[in-house]
Amino acid sequence: MDAELSEYARAAKAALSGVSPEPGVSKPDPILMADSVRRRFGGLVAVDVEHVEVQRGSITALIGPNGAGKTTLFNLLTGFDEPDSGTWNFDGQPLDKVVAHKTAKMGMVRTFQLTKSLTKMSVIENMKLGATGQRGERWWNGLLPFTWRSEEKAIEARAEELLGRFKLTHMRDEYAGTLSGGQRKLLEMSRALMTNPKLVMLDEPMAGVNPALKQSLNQHIKGLRDEGMTVLFVEHDMDMVHDISDWVIVMAEGQIIAEGTPDQISSNPAVIDAYLGAHQGKSLMEDL
Amino acid sequence: MTFRIRHLAALVLALIATFGMFLASPASADAPANRAPRAATCDGPGIRAQVNDQANGEKKPIEGVKITVNDASGAEVVTGNTDATGRVLLCVPEKATYTVTLDESTLKDGQALDGEATVTIDGAKFTTNTRTINFFTGAAVRETDGYWTLLVKAIVNGFRLGIVIAICSVGLSLIFGTTGLTNFAHGELVTFGGIVAHLLSVSWGINFILAAVITVFLGGMFGVGLDAGLWSPLRKRGVGLVSQMVVSVGLGIFLINLYLMRFGGSTKRFQAYNQQTAMKWGPIEITARDLTTTIISLAVLIGVALLLQKSRLGKATRAVSDNVDLASSTGIDSAKIIRIVWFLGAALAALGGIVRGLDEGVRADMGGSLLFLMFAGITLGGLGSAYGALVGGFVIGMFVEVSTIGIPWFPDLPFLGWIKNGVPTELKNVPALAALILILMIRPQGILGRKERVG
Amino acid sequence: MDWGLILDLTLKAFLGLDAVYYIVAALGMNVQFGYAGLLNFGQAAFMAAGAYGLGMAVNYFEYSWWLGLVVGGVYAAVLALIVGVPTLRLRADYLAIVTIAMAEMIRLIVRSVTHKDKFGGTDGLKGFADGFQDLNPFAQGKVYGIGPFQASNTAVTVLLLVIYGLISLGIGYAIARKRKAAKLVPTTLIAGAITYGITLLITSRVKYLGSELWVLIVGWVLVGIFSVFVYMLMRSPWGRVIKGIREDEDAVRSLGKNVFGYKMSALIIGAVLGMFSGVLFALKNSNVQPDNYSRAVTFYIMTALVLGGLATVTGSIVGPMLFWALLAFTDVFLSELSDAQGRVEIFGIELLKDSSARGQFRLGMVGIGLILLMVFRPQGIFGNRKEMALDGR
Repeated sequence: MDAELSEYARAAKAALSGVSPEPGVSKPDPILMADSVRRRFGGLVAVDVEHVEVQRGSITALIGPNGAGKTTLFNLLTGFDEPDSGTWNFDGQPLDKVVAHKTAKMGMVRTFQLTKSLTKMSVIENMKLGATGQRGERWWNGLLPFTWRSEEKAIEARAEELLGRFKLTHMRDEYAGTLSGGQRKLLEMSRALMTNPKLVMLDEPMAGVNPALKQSLNQHIKGLRDEGMTVLFVEHDMDMVHDISDWVIVMAEGQIIAEGTPDQISSNPAVIDAYLGAHQGKSLMEDL
Repeated sequence: MTFRIRHLAALVLALIATFGMFLASPASADAPANRAPRAATCDGPGIRAQVNDQANGEKKPIEGVKITVNDASGAEVVTGNTDATGRVLLCVPEKATYTVTLDESTLKDGQALDGEATVTIDGAKFTTNTRTINFFTGAAVRETDGYWTLLVKAIVNGFRLGIVIAICSVGLSLIFGTTGLTNFAHGELVTFGGIVAHLLSVSWGINFILAAVITVFLGGMFGVGLDAGLWSPLRKRGVGLVSQMVVSVGLGIFLINLYLMRFGGSTKRFQAYNQQTAMKWGPIEITARDLTTTIISLAVLIGVALLLQKSRLGKATRAVSDNVDLASSTGIDSAKIIRIVWFLGAALAALGGIVRGLDEGVRADMGGSLLFLMFAGITLGGLGSAYGALVGGFVIGMFVEVSTIGIPWFPDLPFLGWIKNGVPTELKNVPALAALILILMIRPQGILGRKERVG
Repeated sequence: MDWGLILDLTLKAFLGLDAVYYIVAALGMNVQFGYAGLLNFGQAAFMAAGAYGLGMAVNYFEYSWWLGLVVGGVYAAVLALIVGVPTLRLRADYLAIVTIAMAEMIRLIVRSVTHKDKFGGTDGLKGFADGFQDLNPFAQGKVYGIGPFQASNTAVTVLLLVIYGLISLGIGYAIARKRKAAKLVPTTLIAGAITYGITLLITSRVKYLGSELWVLIVGWVLVGIFSVFVYMLMRSPWGRVIKGIREDEDAVRSLGKNVFGYKMSALIIGAVLGMFSGVLFALKNSNVQPDNYSRAVTFYIMTALVLGGLATVTGSIVGPMLFWALLAFTDVFLSELSDAQGRVEIFGIELLKDSSARGQFRLGMVGIGLILLMVFRPQGIFGNRKEMALDGR
């Protein structure tokens, strides 16, 4: 079994092996660290996270029943929503009060639960949009093609390479709206990679993806780690979580109730309890 | 494809049915009785001079005063004497610059002219067919109202305007809340009320109260017709909200031009209720008409608020506003709720149009010009919240009227003259519109709205 | 019925000044609405900014007229900032509400008696266009045909033939590119030749007054410049971000773009184009009147834009031309019809005698047209149907 693992996977597992499986435990080399992050919607506490860390270079899964606050936590960490209180930092830089587009520039990119492919733009345009810091994205430069032509060529080459890796090359010039649900997930992930991120946050990458594609998506996510990126993802598919993650964080009712390696989590009674006990009438929270 | 055509047909039918009555009477058909006291008319442009004595605080017409009209070169064009109503109509060949002179020797003893005997009419401003020039004799016994009296008057006016805006905005806000549509044609629903009520009561001679009730009902049906024929099919087709907004603009353009064609561009009043003397309680002055409409409107407003608060309908409406899918899954017929909301909203808008029409006269663009204040009101109250619309609309109406008064003991600062002296009446809507922008800067969700809805 | 007259007046409107200033404003609204998804219902205010900027600079501050352009431009940009700052972070309808309210606010202020000394009240301003008309090479009162063979001397004929030829060739090239023709050169030549023929036919029927013609030429030159400007912008990476924002601004934000900044620059660019449109309108009339800048104007421009097709440069050019041609056609047609038949009644109103009822009838049809276009053909004439079909997510 161990023989199949890449060098990076072994490193991640080794780093996390000594970490004790309890909520809010500190990790040897965290890339993301959050403290007392709280968000209420009306009377409902959507997120109330005391402390959480994400290990650099690992694949960390964030799981929990519907309404546990996973997506809300994603939104808070990436600046898409403002918490009522809390601080967090990414790669040593404080991130609270930093607006969404800046977190992306700092190397923390996210995808969305409901894919946001820009349907009326072609696949390649979608990809090229992902590159950050383009000179031609200033309007006065936009008028002067010679200022951005060469840059555009480089971006296009990189986009094409990524499309090839995600097997989307044949759809290059099609509108993104014509892609299937699974292809859109792939497109969104590869577009996110165009930003050259350090941390990739995937919100339910497997939702709506057909089983045949799931296996290759798994490989892609592992591939990200093997290129030195950190992955944090929300998922419901426990098989997949078990298969690819190095570490699992479990949320329920806004709080982190358990952490550990996949094996430790699947035998944790608190987790089983949360999944069985928290299914009464809270399905709305998933949308928040 | 078939359902589209059916809905289109429904829309056309609704429009034709609602405007059926428009066909019966052409735009200019004011009941002749309303014009009776006026002198003969001119074929072309004319100048009407009115001479009144105001010495004892009320106007008394003066007969037999000679009025002369000269053209720009000084040559006499026409002359005439005032009749028993103190009026004389002098026909002139064209809309040009004239001087109108009152011959002071024809005044009786003891009558002294208050003001100039010669008035110049600027040709560029000779826009209406008949220009009216007023002359007064005797010193005006106009108590220059004290600050507090003016303030009380403004508050009374503000109260009335506030209630009208509140009534009109509820529908706008409810429709936004339940369907997401920002309806830029909502002002035309208000105008509908004014015009139909005028048509029924003045042109057709139906008793006003009855006419008002019929109008409010028709207004509601008009709303239901629009929903069934236009908005509901659009929602089913999945037309985006932004496109729907543009469609509402198209609907507004269509309706206002239809009104203009049928009703003309002028202001028309409910003559029978126009000449009331105000009742006085200390500084508060209000006519019986305004008092009645205010009380009725207030009662309707409270009724609507209670309806939304207490009844099952209100709860269902709020549920649909919160989340259509969830509401549907709990057994609420959201299509039915939306129909009811359209009926209620459009009927209230029609009522607002009647009240406003009584107050300011009926014009084809009366609703359109209120729309801005409605937007300010519902933004203040929080887009999509019905109470917000009530409160916000009321506050905006009050603000518009009271802002004309100013605060005399405010320091004399540059650029802040409006705070000290009050806003000029012609610009009284400006601070409200500026407030709209300010509210969005400070608290985009409004007073009663929730933050989650705005982003 | 004089079909020749109907045709002449329709063609005159097709190429005329009303179409030109609508095109410039529509290009601006296209940047905002068509490409960036920003619903600006106050384009009239930015047009008023241009018109009053020019009028005030000349009449009130007594600067020269070209400085008025700068004043108007700065004023339009500042207005865009004021409406943009509070609303661009919020949902689309807030911008619509605030822009329409701001346009009304400005109209109320400029037409007020209180500020009559500056803005001239309801009469507005006039006399500011003299400096511009001094540069007019044509005799103001004389009527000129714009067809090459109507010109008085050969040099002008040749010049016009060459200019129309080049324009036709350009249009032919654009058509060939759009159709993705396999053989670019022959397709360009064929399409260009057809366009050339049509152009010569149209221009041979149309005449303008010298004073009009001067503004018209300046206007069309501006249309050319701004069309290239918008076309270049939208093909650049900047345009890509802008279109992405229209599709889903959260997605664009997650990719590290400052969405607020991009929306603001789109709003300002559209506003400045609106200002140029207002200047053309003011020069056309040689006056500025507050009631020419009511919200109805914005709505009609929006209709013309949707007619041509959102998010295409061609659409914002041809849309307004067709819009005015249709308006002129119905007007002349209805009035000719009354001469021929005595009376035509719609909803019990005699349309033909009463020119204002005729106007209202036509504008009512504009409203219906806007509804039908938005519902049944949101891509307009030149938009991409395939692209629009992807809307129903």
